[in-house]
Amino acid sequence: MDASTLPNPAAAPAAAPADFESLLAPVVDRAYGMALGLTGNRDDAQDLVQEAALLAFRGFHTFRPGTHFRAWFLRILVNCFYASARRRRPEVSLEGAAEQAPLLHLFIQSRAAGMHGAGRDPAHEVLDRIAADDVARALDALPEEFRVVCTLYFMEDLSYQEIADVVGVPVGTVRSRLHRGRKLLQKRLWQAALDAGLAATTVPGPMEGDV
Amino acid sequence: MSHIDRYTCEEAFHRLDDYLDRELPADQMDCVREHLETCAMCASEVEFEQAVIDDVRGKLRRIRAPADLMSRISALIASARGADPEPS
Repeated sequence: MDASTLPNPAAAPAAAPADFESLLAPVVDRAYGMALGLTGNRDDAQDLVQEAALLAFRGFHTFRPGTHFRAWFLRILVNCFYASARRRRPEVSLEGAAEQAPLLHLFIQSRAAGMHGAGRDPAHEVLDRIAADDVARALDALPEEFRVVCTLYFMEDLSYQEIADVVGVPVGTVRSRLHRGRKLLQKRLWQAALDAGLAATTVPGPMEGDV
Repeated sequence: MSHIDRYTCEEAFHRLDDYLDRELPADQMDCVREHLETCAMCASEVEFEQAVIDDVRGKLRRIRAPADLMSRISALIASARGADPEPS
């Protein structure tokens, strides 16, 4: 996606309204996945996709046929999310700036748990423990400024510049939010893996006979 | 590239995120890659980080919308068009 694929009200010709649903149907799974990462729960994710779909339908005359519909729609989805997030959480959270973002958290924790032995695949062993919905919840637990860029990063194959175009911030801001957001996400993923019982099978337990 | 141009672990680590996302200039991508070829520890960290990114991507991208979401959107659009909503 590049700037030429984003909504441009001045562009013509307009797409026919009848095309809208046929363009939306193939991208609705990806849109819902992104909405789940942004909102953290299924009901809000469905509401967000529906709200974005209605808004996109009403603004469909600004979509240029032949350009990237998914990018166009996801930008509307993100804008909808920002608008609804401001309604639901009007206070601006600064917790993200203060929270410690440890380096290589999953790498270090999984190694400490004895998962880095020969022939093992510790990253997959950790992630295999975590259901997709719980990964989405871990994303949602990030402070909003990190959550949006991380969700776009994981759901779409976008460059930093392309994420910056969607979110409307400088590329350097995307870089710092993404790098920090990924580190914070690793903390939450490790906790999710522990909650799923990871440590019970990977951390060396008591010697046999100690029980 | 001469030996004196090679990155230390610290220099390579500093560029880890940008390297994973292929957002470094080509010459720095080469320097990091060369470091990884000679440093097993850094290489294992990069491999781990890449696997985490790939797994998170894979899980999130396999999420499917509820089966009736598209039909509910169609009903909303039908209402917006002024027509009768589709029967549910």
